[in-house]
Amino acid sequence: MSEAKETIFEHDTHTVATTGSSLTVFVVLVMLAIVAIGVGFSDLGPWKVAASLLVAGVQALVLSIFFMDLKQADKLTWMCAGASVFWVAIMFTFTLTDYITRHLAAF
Amino acid sequence: MAASALAGNKLKAPVAHHFNNILQQQATVRLGMWLFLITEVLFFGGAFCAYTVYRVWFPREFEAGSAALNVGIASVNTFLLLTSSLTITLAIRSAYQASQTGLKVWLMATIILGSLFLGLKGREYYLDYEEGLIPTGANVWVQEQQPNGTYEMVEKPLFAVNVEKVLHKEHFDTHAINMARVQLFFIFYYVMTGLHVIHMIIGLGLLIWQYILASIGFFRFGERYVYIEVMSLYWHFVDMVWMFLLPLLYLCGPHTLGQAVEQFKMSIGLVSGHH
Repeated sequence: MSEAKETIFEHDTHTVATTGSSLTVFVVLVMLAIVAIGVGFSDLGPWKVAASLLVAGVQALVLSIFFMDLKQADKLTWMCAGASVFWVAIMFTFTLTDYITRHLAAF
Repeated sequence: MAASALAGNKLKAPVAHHFNNILQQQATVRLGMWLFLITEVLFFGGAFCAYTVYRVWFPREFEAGSAALNVGIASVNTFLLLTSSLTITLAIRSAYQASQTGLKVWLMATIILGSLFLGLKGREYYLDYEEGLIPTGANVWVQEQQPNGTYEMVEKPLFAVNVEKVLHKEHFDTHAINMARVQLFFIFYYVMTGLHVIHMIIGLGLLIWQYILASIGFFRFGERYVYIEVMSLYWHFVDMVWMFLLPLLYLCGPHTLGQAVEQFKMSIGLVSGHH
């Protein structure tokens, strides 16, 4: 190797969130938490769990994109985040197709 | 380089010999934590998946079990964790600016918030223990009214007797509730919150370690902010797990705001819990 090859790490484009933007994300997360608890104290019947999981999903999305900085993450990091969701989805799908349909074919 | 430019110093953090430059090193450090987080997502995912199966099978019993939990402490703990996610993010910025005093302040704030969470969680476990909400195979003899009006001694599972007492206090109708399945809910409750607590304790250990490093000047190079950043990834992940534990365990059953406020006051000794 005679001369150094340019790598994708030559230029630093990474910035760290400002105090103001962190505070904004925090306020959004607090409001979502209030919604989550509000839904928990409500009487939505079977829709409660769906509404709760929707709010928790939005919270997780805001947290991962802004606080965990997926916003300016490289492709490899996005692949990690995507892979975790993908494999968990496989685990849930294949487990639940068995367990929640058993009673439908109980003969 | 943006990091050192913002830090306002000409010092460059030393790069480990197997990296081309500091940026490659930082990217590698980040990737390592994200790979670890994949395994963590699958680890907790397994517990959530098992929970889902039994929740679908025994919905009424899971709601009954949830109704017996202390939703006051859980709600307050949610905001403590969220605030700790903010303080650790501010710690990254201080490290990026090579402000070691700021870094130590925000790390300490995060340590305090995490400890408060664990303290309240410990209090909650203790109150559960006091109410006898501990899964057990033990039986107990109780006096029970028979259909003909007379009282007779009958042998019942100890857990069922205890959880019925708590649920009646919450005005929850325990008619047609299978207590063995409520016990299953409680096993999920202890295992899932217990795993979360273990992760919190490990997180606190990491925070204390970084605080010591900050105290001996390790973070005098702004480029080393990446170590605070990857630790924050783990801390945010633990926060995220809680975001799902709260609705699935605590808010699954019927609760009211008044009850939550009352429970929290009682838990920290503001009002007496013994009526």
